[in-house]
Amino acid sequence: MNIIKPTKGKISLGGKPIDINFFNEIGYLPEERGLYKKSKVIDVILYFAELKNMSRSYAKEEAVRWLKKLSIGKYVNSRIIELSKGNQQKVQFITAILHNPSILVLDEPFSGFDPINQQEIKDILIEFAVSGKIIMLSTHQMDTAEKLCADIFLINNGKEVCSGSISQIKKQFGSNNVKIEFEGDLSFIRSFPYVVNVNIYSNYAEVQLEEDIQPSDFLRSIIDKINVTHFSVIEPTLNKIFLDVIKKN
Amino acid sequence: MNFKKTFAVAKWEYLEKVKTKTFLISLILTPTIIIGLTIAPTIFSNKSETTTKAIGIVDTSNTFPQTLINELGNIKLKNGQPRFIPINLFRKNISLTKLKHSADKLVIDNRIEGYLLFLNAGTDSLKVEYRSSNTGNIREINLLQRTVNKVRIIQKLKKAGVNSGIIKIVLTNVKFTSIKIEKSGEESGSNIMMIALTSFIFIILLMFMILSSGGMLVRSLVEEKSNKLIEILISSCSPDELLTGKIFGLSSLGLTQILIWLLIGISIAASTNTIPHNAFTNLIPILVYFILGFIFYTAIFVGIGSIVNSEQEAQQITSYLSVILIIPIALIVPVMENPNSLFVQILSYIPFTLPSIMILRLNIISLTITEIIITLIIMILSIVVTIKLASRIFKIGILSYGKRPSLKEIIEWIK
Repeated sequence: MNIIKPTKGKISLGGKPIDINFFNEIGYLPEERGLYKKSKVIDVILYFAELKNMSRSYAKEEAVRWLKKLSIGKYVNSRIIELSKGNQQKVQFITAILHNPSILVLDEPFSGFDPINQQEIKDILIEFAVSGKIIMLSTHQMDTAEKLCADIFLINNGKEVCSGSISQIKKQFGSNNVKIEFEGDLSFIRSFPYVVNVNIYSNYAEVQLEEDIQPSDFLRSIIDKINVTHFSVIEPTLNKIFLDVIKKN
Repeated sequence: MNFKKTFAVAKWEYLEKVKTKTFLISLILTPTIIIGLTIAPTIFSNKSETTTKAIGIVDTSNTFPQTLINELGNIKLKNGQPRFIPINLFRKNISLTKLKHSADKLVIDNRIEGYLLFLNAGTDSLKVEYRSSNTGNIREINLLQRTVNKVRIIQKLKKAGVNSGIIKIVLTNVKFTSIKIEKSGEESGSNIMMIALTSFIFIILLMFMILSSGGMLVRSLVEEKSNKLIEILISSCSPDELLTGKIFGLSSLGLTQILIWLLIGISIAASTNTIPHNAFTNLIPILVYFILGFIFYTAIFVGIGSIVNSEQEAQQITSYLSVILIIPIALIVPVMENPNSLFVQILSYIPFTLPSIMILRLNIISLTITEIIITLIIMILSIVVTIKLASRIFKIGILSYGKRPSLKEIIEWIK
């Protein structure tokens, strides 16, 4: 994107090296928001569209459509400074996507939006993802990443912590945990050789099993000794994985 | 280079800035200030005196008063009234100190405008003091000085027995005008004040424009940097396209400004006849130097704008540049007196001072074509080099935040 020069190596997309035409394929939303405050909404959108090689008339059509879609259609001719912060963010979001880029780079796209607008933006992003666009989303909110992203690249202190698809990461870092709700005395399972760790609470327990043990086998071995009312496999959240990995390092 | 994008940047910079209040204000304010600085004092001081003033004469030798009273009395105001009422303040048997004391009191009490005190009168080491509460009226003082000298000459000549007809001839000034010979063989009457004035106006205009639009450029760069808009821009077009677009947009803005001012200026000149039309004979070369100078400084401002992080920092650097811009104004008189001195020659080859100094010299002397071509080449080369350097600094500078880079780092970037 021309912002940071690669220290080494080459960047290519779909086998093709990145060149000047790549500019028009990319949509970028930086974390710090701000537009030309004294300029009109439509002028700002059209300026960025022209820089992406869009024709003015088509850009105008699209701009009006998106402004309406994000329910800020009435501000077409207002100055940026007259808009609320949330609405300014919407305008900036439009500048990032107007030229229908095939790659979107979004840095904390939801910050500054209220829950309704966050949902609106999420819906649009999911639409884009389904339609085959590449979306790179950078965020501190692990739950957002978990819900929206297919592939994850966790970074701590500028270094890679782990990467891969969500299910891979969960498999890799999530330990083999189950939750049991029961009646009776469960303490006997501490003597099981494949039980790594047990936390027994008043009416439920969390049990960590060895990696190669199937939870169903474990269930079979306890089912005739106590009365199990609930049994589930606990999936670790991305948040927990992140914290665990950082702690380990 | 994608010219469509460069054009889009230029158009944006131009249109967005033309619409700002700052532009409108500088469009109106700059000529107002310049007129205030240059034409107004001339108008005020040209306004002839309308009141008769009492002038005292203290001469203990009593050789001058009679003739002086006659001569001063002959000077008339526009309305026909005498300009001065000369009063002989000499009293016999009163010491000079006492005479001086009472005359001073008359001045302080506003009974007389001032008085002429003759010292060592009757000898060759005559000294005259004009003592007044207002010694700022240079025209009036000059007039008094001329009259006193005239009177002294008349008296000396009369003493030597020269007849009054010859005295009259001696006292008449020869009619003297200066004519500048142009290369084409044409001659043009030149009014030194008007030359100074037009050059002064152009140099001040150049300075104002560079500072105001340079300021605008730096402000917009700082804004784009602070809200990371620059990252969006730079991921949409190359730094060169962005830089060229910005310089073009800003230069067109500057040209619009000059064009409007020129139209106003020419129409004022034509309608009032205050400025002789030959003040504009060198208009085209002047404009060329003007525009080149403007682009040169704009490129410098781009470099500055890309290394600073706040407007305060920018102002700091800008103030150094303004000093360089002011140098030629301080040099107007020496350059006019000696437009071919080595010092002036050197200044006309340094790109920072070249445009202003050449604008000045163009109006005073006929420069050789070689000189003009060499300076133009220097200017164009400097612009090319500056833009190259600025773009190197720009490419790295616009994306580095925080501490202002040291000179060493900047040199590193340029490499």
